[in-house]
Amino acid sequence: MLSIEYFEVECPEPLGAAYYRQITNDVLLDHNLLRVINKLHIFIDPKVPVFVAVGTLKKISTMIRVRDFANVNPLGDKITLVISDETYLAPMLKIFWQQFGKDKVEQPDRFTVILYNVETEAREIEDLVVADPSASLFKDLIYAFRLIAPEGFRVRSEKFSRERFSFVASEDTLAGDLAPLIRDKFALMGEKP
Amino acid sequence: MTLVPVTYKGGIYQHDIITDLIEDLGGYIVQKHIIGGEVVLQCFIPRDDIELTRRIAKPLFGEVTDSPLVGTEIAVVSMSLEIHHLPHPSCDFAEYARRIGAKTNMVSPARGPGKRISQLSDEERDVINEHDIAVIAFGNFESCIEYKWPALRRGIEVPIIVMGGPDTETLKRIIHPAAEGYVGHVGRFMRRGKTEEEIGILDEIVAEVTRVIEKKREEIAKDPLSVSPARLMDLIREHVPAIHDVTSPTPLTVQMEGLRVKLPYDTFAGDVRQIEIEDGITVSDVAEVVPSRMRDYILVKIRPFSETNTVV
Repeated sequence: MLSIEYFEVECPEPLGAAYYRQITNDVLLDHNLLRVINKLHIFIDPKVPVFVAVGTLKKISTMIRVRDFANVNPLGDKITLVISDETYLAPMLKIFWQQFGKDKVEQPDRFTVILYNVETEAREIEDLVVADPSASLFKDLIYAFRLIAPEGFRVRSEKFSRERFSFVASEDTLAGDLAPLIRDKFALMGEKP
Repeated sequence: MTLVPVTYKGGIYQHDIITDLIEDLGGYIVQKHIIGGEVVLQCFIPRDDIELTRRIAKPLFGEVTDSPLVGTEIAVVSMSLEIHHLPHPSCDFAEYARRIGAKTNMVSPARGPGKRISQLSDEERDVINEHDIAVIAFGNFESCIEYKWPALRRGIEVPIIVMGGPDTETLKRIIHPAAEGYVGHVGRFMRRGKTEEEIGILDEIVAEVTRVIEKKREEIAKDPLSVSPARLMDLIREHVPAIHDVTSPTPLTVQMEGLRVKLPYDTFAGDVRQIEIEDGITVSDVAEVVPSRMRDYILVKIRPFSETNTVV
C-alpha cells in the first residue's frame, strides 16, 4: 500500500482488522486500483454489523492516446505503428477502421499496424484518443468494495464522486441517517465528506 | 487382517506388478491415476505386508507412503461459492487433501454467508451428513462465528472441524456446542497461499483432520463393519458393469462406513442389493442401500457386526 497516503482499518477485533487490511490490499492490487486511491479508511463492526469504507481519490486525467503505447513512423505513403502494449490495440484498430476504412489498415503481425495512403499527419495519429480509463472507474471501485466487504452485507449505500467516496454495507436495514458516521470516518483522515 | 490406507507412487513401467501384488495380498485399489509417466495408486494393504510391498516396489523406484485419508470422503463447507470465499482458502484445502488421498467435496449453503442471515437447509444438512467428516470454513470475526455456529451446526451428525480467522484457542472458547477439531488463522483471504507459513496451515488442517479420522476409525474398530467398504467396491465393479461407463473421476467413492455409487438409484439399487458377497450373503443383508441426497446417486451404508452378527 505504498502509493496510498493514508490507509487504516478500524475494527473492535484487532486480528479481524489485520485480516481485512490484507484483503483490502489484495483486492485493490488485483484490480489495479491502488493508483487511484489517495486516502482510505475502513471501519468494520461485526457486532452491529456494519462495514464502512470512506476515502479520497487521486485526480486521474490521463486519456490513453496512440503515442502512449505505439511508435508512429511515417515513410512515403505509409505509416507504420510499432505497438509496445497490446492492451489498447483493439479499440485503436476500431477507430482506424472507422476513420480510414478497413482497406487502408493492415496488421501484418501482433505488434505492427500499417496505414496506407491516409491523409492524416503522423502527429495527429499520435494524438488520437483511444480510451478513457476513468469511464469504468466507479464501476470498478464499487465492485472492489463489494469484494472487500463481508459477503453477507448486501444492504448497501454508496456515494462516489470525482474526489471522494463512501461505501456503507450491512446485512440489516441501514440506519436512516448515515451522514454522522461517514463524517466521523472522514474526520479521522483529516477530510470533510 | 487389518487394512492400512497407503499411497503408492512410481513409474508406469511394470506397475502391474504392484497392482497384481496388492490384489494377491488381499488389498484393494481405491483410486488409480496415471499422470504423465507416473502412476499413483491409493489403496488399502494388509498391515503386515507393507514392508513386502516396499521391498518389491524398490527396484521399480516406487514409493509407498502412509495416507490416512485414503478411503474417506470429506465435505469442505464453504459459506458460499462467490469469489469472497472461493477459491481461497476452501479450495486450497480441498485440493491439498485430495493430493494425500481424501475425496473432498465442496458443499456450499445457498444462504451461508452473513451473521444473522446465515442458514443451512435440510438438503444441505443431509448432504453434509453423507460424508465422513465436515470441515467448515468460517470467516475472520469471532463474534460472527460465535453467533452463526449454533444455526449451522444444528442437525450435523458427522464430526466437524472448524476453520476460522481467530486463533485456535479463541475458536475453542467461542464454539458451543464443541466441535471435534479446530484450526485457527485460516479465515477469509483473497490470495493464493504461497508462503511456508500458509502452506504450514494446510498441514495443520490435514493433521487435525487425520486426528479426527483416526479417532473415528478407532470407534469403528470397536464394533467392526460387516464388510469392508473397499471389498464392496470391488464387488460392485465386478457385478454392475454399468459403473465402468460412468465418467465421474470416482464412480465408486469409498467412505469409512460405506460407499457412494454414482449410478441412478431407481435403475440400479436392486442390482446392488442382490450382489452376493460370500456364501449366499448379499449386500442387502449387511448394508442399507438408500438414495443419496447428492443427485440421484446410491448410498450404501454398511451395518456394524453388532447389528448383523456377520462379518464377511
